[in-house]
Amino acid sequence: MFRNLKVQSARAAIILLGFTLFIGCTESGEQTLPILGRKEYKEVNGSIDTLYHTIPAFSFVDQDSMVVTEATFTDKIYVADFFFGTCPTICPVMKQQMLRVYEQFKDNPQFAILSHTIDPEHDTVAYLKNYSMNIGVPDNKTWHFVTGDKDEIYKIGSEAGYMVPVGEDSDAPGGFIHSGAFLLIDKDRRVRGIYDGTKALQVDELMADIPKLLAEYE
Amino acid sequence: MNEQTLDRLDQKELQLYTNGRQLYTRYCQNCHMEDGQGLGQLIPPLAKADYLINDLSRAARLIKYGQKGPIEVNGKTYNQPMPANPKLTNQEIQMLLTYIGNAWGNSSKILAINTIEEALTAEE
Repeated sequence: MFRNLKVQSARAAIILLGFTLFIGCTESGEQTLPILGRKEYKEVNGSIDTLYHTIPAFSFVDQDSMVVTEATFTDKIYVADFFFGTCPTICPVMKQQMLRVYEQFKDNPQFAILSHTIDPEHDTVAYLKNYSMNIGVPDNKTWHFVTGDKDEIYKIGSEAGYMVPVGEDSDAPGGFIHSGAFLLIDKDRRVRGIYDGTKALQVDELMADIPKLLAEYE
Repeated sequence: MNEQTLDRLDQKELQLYTNGRQLYTRYCQNCHMEDGQGLGQLIPPLAKADYLINDLSRAARLIKYGQKGPIEVNGKTYNQPMPANPKLTNQEIQMLLTYIGNAWGNSSKILAINTIEEALTAEE
């Protein structure tokens, strides 16, 4: 039943292994979070500049019909994930875990959460409002549940954006495959952490990393 | 497992309970959670849930065939579809019901296999 998720997690594990090696190479002592994703090097006036992977521009609509773009997260760090409302597998437990993050950081104006539906045909604005209310999120002040153009959602989930597997698959439970990852994004739209949103221990780690990332901007 | 559950169930029932817990982890826990509390107003609890405990035969049908439309659990309305599990055998459903019906402070009788068979072939 979880075969598709397993294949995807294996892929994610390989990517994570790469990141782990990368973390291992950073200077020890400093508590700075790594900057994840493929880097590009560009020569500018004889010296080499490092260009980090960043989340591209996007435009979605949240549960309160507000247009959500990269500008919504100006001067904020945020946690992103992917789910769908009728998901019979990992989504509810991801939402249970994300609620812990929400409860701890919801009053911090420099923090936000961005949950993308990967089933925008079913998960309309009205559906997302009802869904978010039902799990205990009364407004869109901190946590945006967004829907939008399906291709744009899949694209932002892909290597071009959050680097997680999302997509349609008629063999998968509920008709979609998606990762259970929570992505921690900094104020410069760089990926600074990937956590398994179905595992309480990894979410504990995320909750410990959020203050570290905020401290970089103090 | 708390001691009350241990005392109440005989050895055969404990076996069903233990196997049921494994099935629960695999088939149910992602939505109904490890503690049986469900998720907000989205996914109903199983712990101390009248809708479950008052009619285990209905619960057997729900596990096998899924559920659509609103249901009322402990005075609250929930309206989230539950997927069917058509591949579960009657014995696996018995194990699941033994676990769900006796975990988290629940206390239910064990449904016999033929009772489950009748429940599943009865008109819904």
